[in-house]
Amino acid sequence: MEDLVGRLSALDPDAGAAIKVIAYFDRLVEGRAGLEPVVRGAAVLTGCAARLVDADRGVAIRVDATGAVHPSDDPPDPAWLSAPLHPGGPPALWLERTGPAGPVEAMVLERALSAARGALARTRGPAPADDVAAVLDAAVAEPARLRAARRLGLGLAARALALEGGRAKVLAADQAVEVARAGVGPVVPVADLPSSWAAARTALRFAAAGTEQDPGPSVVHADQLGGLAVLAEAVGPGAEPVPDVQDLERARSTAPWALATLVAVATTSSLRTAAATLVVHHSTLQDRLAHVEELLGWSVRDPSGRLRLQLAIALRRLHNHH
Amino acid sequence: MTTTESDSTRVGPPPPFDPELAAALEAMPELPTSLTPDLIPSLREGYNSRDATNEELRRGGAFEVSERPVPGPHGDIPVLILKPAAATGLVGAIYYIHGGGMITGTNRGADSTKAYDLAQELGLAVVSVDYRLAPEHPHPVPVDECYAGLVWTVEHADELGIDPERIVIAGASAGGGLAAATTLMARDRGAPALAAQLLFCPMLDDRNESLSARQMAGLGVWDRTSNDTGWTALLGAERGGPDVSPYAAPARESDLSGLPPTYLDVGSAETFRDEVVAYASAIWAAGGNAELHVWPGGFHGFEMLAPESDLSHAAAGPRIPWLRRVLGI
Repeated sequence: MEDLVGRLSALDPDAGAAIKVIAYFDRLVEGRAGLEPVVRGAAVLTGCAARLVDADRGVAIRVDATGAVHPSDDPPDPAWLSAPLHPGGPPALWLERTGPAGPVEAMVLERALSAARGALARTRGPAPADDVAAVLDAAVAEPARLRAARRLGLGLAARALALEGGRAKVLAADQAVEVARAGVGPVVPVADLPSSWAAARTALRFAAAGTEQDPGPSVVHADQLGGLAVLAEAVGPGAEPVPDVQDLERARSTAPWALATLVAVATTSSLRTAAATLVVHHSTLQDRLAHVEELLGWSVRDPSGRLRLQLAIALRRLHNHH
Repeated sequence: MTTTESDSTRVGPPPPFDPELAAALEAMPELPTSLTPDLIPSLREGYNSRDATNEELRRGGAFEVSERPVPGPHGDIPVLILKPAAATGLVGAIYYIHGGGMITGTNRGADSTKAYDLAQELGLAVVSVDYRLAPEHPHPVPVDECYAGLVWTVEHADELGIDPERIVIAGASAGGGLAAATTLMARDRGAPALAAQLLFCPMLDDRNESLSARQMAGLGVWDRTSNDTGWTALLGAERGGPDVSPYAAPARESDLSGLPPTYLDVGSAETFRDEVVAYASAIWAAGGNAELHVWPGGFHGFEMLAPESDLSHAAAGPRIPWLRRVLGI
């Protein structure tokens, strides 16, 4: 294949070489070649060592340009050409050469990864990430979801968690929820996990970032939302915030402490507890509330004002998290 | 060995190529499967353009490279000599005969790489003969020249720093056939003595009728049509007839006794598979010593076309320990 590399580089890089790269990996796939031939193909067609790393499945294969399998203890150089197995995932296939990628290298990365995905699924089973996606997807046939649930070791009942960036997590019923910002779905029979996932995504919209701009609890359980969940449907992308939400926003931009103060008052059982949460003196809290009530135009200390405040805070989060 | 009976044997579908080899083959479509005589000039041009230079043959200083004209029955024969640079005393030698279907190839071609690898690993010299090619020079010119080069090597062993007791003959494809023929000649003439013969995917049988030849027609590398082109170039109208000499087609030899230890390998998906297996069986039947490897899914010359493939690495593996055993080194 020394010849092969020579001929590939001599060909019109945009057309001829790319077609040969495609044909090469197509034949490997047709022949149900394993992972090593795929990595070797990447190495030989580019003339440099290649490695495939899939930590989830415990795969680490390195083949040098002569086609020999040579594991390396050195971590991959982040400057090397690489591509992930799945969009947004960590780099999985590396060519031990720095960029930019030429047309042959780009095509090799793409086709080799496609071949590697098939070989991985066939020889190592689906990645846990694939199984998680399957158990949450109502469009996947129930027997396949149940098999995926078994591979994940979920037992009979489990819950879905919605995390930042559209990521998902599934926990067995008895597993502790230890996460940063999350919507936590109810524990359901594993076949019903798609519904737990839907509830978790709704709950996530009520979860605060825990920052000064978005204070409040960052883990929200769907089964504690009650009637608030109905609100989520009402606030879609582009929905106009009601005046109370706009007032909250104005209060926040007037006084940096305003929003945290209001959230503390809305979520604790007494002003004394709220003051302790905010680490301010009780009288300071009283002064601040008087000031902020003036900005809002309504009292947050009587029962109806308190409900109005809680609703405004919830609505504000729904507007911020779609 | 295969005869006319084989025509009635049921031929199954061709064995599948090894996936990596199929991929490599796919990516090199310029290589014609079926070689006809009209393609010989362009084939030679392609081969010669990839000849190794002396610098490449030196392998970073591992070998000293020289070239000598050796007198032969049909004129001078160029011989390439690689000597281990680190050698202090006499060294063993591989007398190498290149491949190319009897019609093409040189002693600087890619198929010789196997001999250099072995020599480098085991501290041997390589003497490689550039015999004249058919059809311009039909049988017996090629085998005569291979034999003459071997005799010269033994006669000049002292001068070359070679131990004449440790000369191994080797060849690939047509060179494997010529190596087998030269070995038969040396046996029949009583000299020179050979320590071993290595026949890599050798071209042994001009009859071209084996089951594997028919099974692989139109597929892979060097199919039945190519084989006909090569043998007809060497033998003309005699090819396949009753009077072909074993010195042209060693498969014609009925007595394979008295041969040195023999190493044979071949791919399962090539024309030569069955004649190589038959040759090994005939050596065993005659009470001889042979080691045979049939590499599954290998097409003809897969090591040359896809040296990085897993099967090529595997095929190279057993040769070094085999040579150590037969040479006692």
